[in-house]
Parts: sequence; C-alpha cells; structure tokens
Amino acid sequence: MISSPNNKSSGRVILLEDVSVRFDGVAALSDMTFEIEAGEQLAVIGTSGAGKSTLFRVLTRSVALGSGRVTIGGQDLYSLSRRRLNGLRRRIGTIYQAYNLVPQLSAGVNASLGEVGGMGSLRTLRAFLTGPDAGLSERVRAALEEIGLADKAGVRTADLSGGQQQRVAVARLLVQRPDLILADEPFAAVDPVTTERVLETLLHLNSEGATLVLNLHDVEIARRFPRVVALREGRVVFDGPSERLTEDELASIYAGDPSREESARNPDPPFARHGNEGAIRLTEGRDGVSSH
Amino acid sequence: MASPRTERPGIGGAVPRFSWKISIAVLVVLGLTGYSVAGTDFNIVELLRGTGPAERFVSEMFPPDLSAATLQATGTGIVETFQMSFLGALLGAVVAFPLSALGTQEIATAGASRSERLLRAVPYHLSRMLLNVFRSVPDILWALVFVVALGLGPFPGTLALAVHSAGVLGKLYSETLEAVPSRPVEALAATGASDFQAFLFGRLPQAMSGFTSLTLYQWECNIRSATILGFVGAGGIGQEILISMNLFDYPKVATLVGATIIVVLLVDRFSAAIRRRLAY
Repeated sequence: MISSPNNKSSGRVILLEDVSVRFDGVAALSDMTFEIEAGEQLAVIGTSGAGKSTLFRVLTRSVALGSGRVTIGGQDLYSLSRRRLNGLRRRIGTIYQAYNLVPQLSAGVNASLGEVGGMGSLRTLRAFLTGPDAGLSERVRAALEEIGLADKAGVRTADLSGGQQQRVAVARLLVQRPDLILADEPFAAVDPVTTERVLETLLHLNSEGATLVLNLHDVEIARRFPRVVALREGRVVFDGPSERLTEDELASIYAGDPSREESARNPDPPFARHGNEGAIRLTEGRDGVSSH
Repeated sequence: MASPRTERPGIGGAVPRFSWKISIAVLVVLGLTGYSVAGTDFNIVELLRGTGPAERFVSEMFPPDLSAATLQATGTGIVETFQMSFLGALLGAVVAFPLSALGTQEIATAGASRSERLLRAVPYHLSRMLLNVFRSVPDILWALVFVVALGLGPFPGTLALAVHSAGVLGKLYSETLEAVPSRPVEALAATGASDFQAFLFGRLPQAMSGFTSLTLYQWECNIRSATILGFVGAGGIGQEILISMNLFDYPKVATLVGATIIVVLLVDRFSAAIRRRLAY
C-alpha cells in the first residue's frame, strides 16, 4: 500500500533524496530532491531531455539508480525484494504517450490487465486461456462504459484509433484502482476531446484518493494543476503553485529548446520528438503498437 | 591510397568511400574465393565436358514410368514424406516453445541483486545450449543416429526432423520473443505483473503470428529435407528414389522426382499464402 485508507489526504507518498541517474555516463537526473504528498495533483514540465521520463521510470524502478534514495509509501524502493516490489507496483498505475497496450489483445483484455499483478499463477493461466473471470469482466465492462468504449470491449486494440487506445489505457487504470497514478505525456498524441475526457477521469480518480503525477509538454494544461515542478537538465528548477509560473520562469525553463520555440509560434504540439534516452517517439499509435 | 582530405568533402554516394576496413574486407573475400576454388577443384571446363553423360542420364529418364505400380509407389512415398514433415514440424514446435520461453532474455530488472540475475541466467543458458545442439546437427545426421537406434523406416526420420526443427524453431521463436516491442511488456511490469504474467500477456500475444509463420516455414523446409532422409533409410520418397537409382530404373526416378517437385511447390505456395496473410 502506498497509503493506508485512513491517512489518504495527509503524509507524503513519494520522497526523492539526492537522486541521480546516468545513461552511459550522461547525467539524466542530478541530485534531485523533492517530495509528493498523498492525494496531490502534480504536473511535471520541462524540455525534452530534461529528465521527465527518467523521473517516471525511477518511480517504478524501471531504470538503475545512480545514487540517492527513493522512498514510496515509506518503503525504500530500490532495496525491495522482487515480491515486495511487485506488491508496491500493483498500487501504481501508469499511462503513457504511446499507450503501451498489447495491440493484438482485445480492448477488454487490455483493460483487465490492470488487475494482472494481483492474480495468482492459476488465475493468470485461467485468464490467459478463457479470459477474465465474471467479477473482473464486470469491472472491465464498467470501466469501458465510464470512458465511453462499452461497445469496443471485443475489438482488437490495434484496430482502435489513438484516442480510443488512450481511453483503454485509462480503463486499465480504472480496473486497477491504484493509489498513485503516473501519466507520462498522456495527451501528447491524442485529440483535445480525448484530452479533456482523460484528464477528467484522472481527476476523478484523484478525488477518490489517488495521488496524481503527470508529465506534460503542454504548459497550458500544467497551469490547471495546483503544483508544478519544472525540470531542466535533470534538476528541479521550479517547484510551486502554477500561479507563480510567470512568463519569465517559463522562458528560463524552456530556454534554448527549439521545439518549444516552434510550438510558441504554432499552437499544434510537436508530434515526433526525441525522448530522454534518444529514442524517437512516434505517435498516432505507431509506437509499441505495431503488429509483429 | 587514401585521397588527401579536402576542406569541404562532398556528401558522397551510396557506395562507401575508400577505407582501410573495406579494402581489407574485399581482399579477404577475394582470398577466400581463390582458396575455395583451389580446394574444390572448381573447373568450368570440366563442367561443360560433363554435359554429355548428364544428357544421356536425363534422356534415359524419358518417358517417365507412369505404370500403375510406379504411381502407387510414388503416392505412398509422397504421403509418407508429407506425414513425416508435418509431424516433424509439429513435434518440433511443441518442444521448441517451452525451451524458447526459457531461452528469452527478460527485460533488465533495475536493482535486481546479483544472485537474482544468476538464478535467471541458468535456465536461459541451459535451454539455449540444448537448442544449439538440436540445431547444429543436420537432420540427416540425426536420421542416421535414430536409424541406428530404432531401425529403418519413417519413424526415425520423423524424430530426426522433429529434433532439428525444435532446434531451429526454438532459436527463431526466442528471437521473435525478444524482438517484440518491449514497451507494452514494460508497462505491464511497471504495474506489478510478474515475469510470467508479463510474458503471457505482453510478449506472447505480440509474437504469436510470427510463431505461426515460422512454423509453416519450417514445415516447408521439412518436406524438402524429408525427401532425402530416405537415402539413409529413414523413410519417405527418398528411399524409393535411392532404390530406383541403384536399379538404373531412370524412368521411375523421373516420376518420383517429378512428384516430389510438385508436392514441394504446392506446400511452398500454400504456406507462403498463409504467411502473407499473417504478416499484415
């Protein structure tokens, strides 16, 4: 558990102390220290390569830690045994810019995978062979209904549009009911209507107690969050309420970022950019969802 | 000689510019060619001189023997070859699948302890080693081994195909599993799925069409291999071909070889058509 039910609105969920991560000798995060309270809504902004995605991957222990300490729900993330780690990860829900659903599986099965971490081996095998059991199927149906895809449960995920796939990813969150939601640029590849719908669902989950941490490239959306953290070259350069995010602050956060200067002139978001690790991010459902 | 560097070099075409690496590679290829030509007595003149006897051999095959007895023997041989190749591919796939699953390198687990990593490496290397042995021994050698152990007939031939297929498919399966887009798999792991669960729901569904395609291709290869396994007594149409050759019954050889070619082409077409549909 990230937070016990009776102290959902108080106490910190995440604590980073002097966290540094390096890829092939290049610093991605340097001495990062900050904390996130339970139930908070937090937007993380910064240029591409500022360390936003690396920060998210640190929070699920998906990258090796150079130095420092990451504490989630009172537990030292990087010293947990594999079993305890999986137990903790079960309480963390993730959505991504590229959806990261399994394209060959149906929308319903993808949504049901929010529960997979909690299944024993036998139930996993049964779910693999004959599909989710009655209780889980019911929850999947309710989740798909909530995001307006009730009629798509049996459709192959690869055959859905990008916006629909992102909504399936949100349905997976609804099935999982995590205490902490990490959303890595969830709106970078979807239309404005989907953006509003996804954001609304995330805020709804937050109102029920889940802590919400979003990586955003869109400053306008970030302004709607009570707290904004800005990264630059792997360091926190701004941490405070969004009202304090002045044009001057933004200019120094995004100084020298061509894609940002481009998007200042052109309101469309940059669609294909280089990610933190130098991998090219494709959007429109072409990333990680191509069939074999 | 390397051309002297100019101030502003052009962009250049698709052919790489002079470099020592490429020059050495070209020299190595030329050297190996000469060495191999000398070692194999490769001789174009000799080949042309051989056309006479070859022509006699081919002309003696015509007209092919289309008597009822020969056609029946051909049919039996073809059916047996078909059955051997199919069962070989199927058994191979059944054996290859679990071994390839074990022989797939799981995504790096950040922060895993040394002993955890070691524990995962043991089944990985064991299954890879087994698959390598299965694969690197050609099926005709496996056939010899099984004929010695089990006697003549299609059964040892089928086993030989199964073992070799398992080796080939196991390697290709695990390569497919590893080449699958990893982000959906990582996304599952990030929300608490175990390795087994991430494999089952993340990796396997993405690899499935690849598996089917590879298995069909292996079946194609098996039907070609099965035709020669008969030469070492392991059943199939090859046995008939060998007997007729030894009896200088060339018209019968013509019928047998012709039938083999037709069946191989048919299976190739059939499997290619299915594989094309899978690859969409």
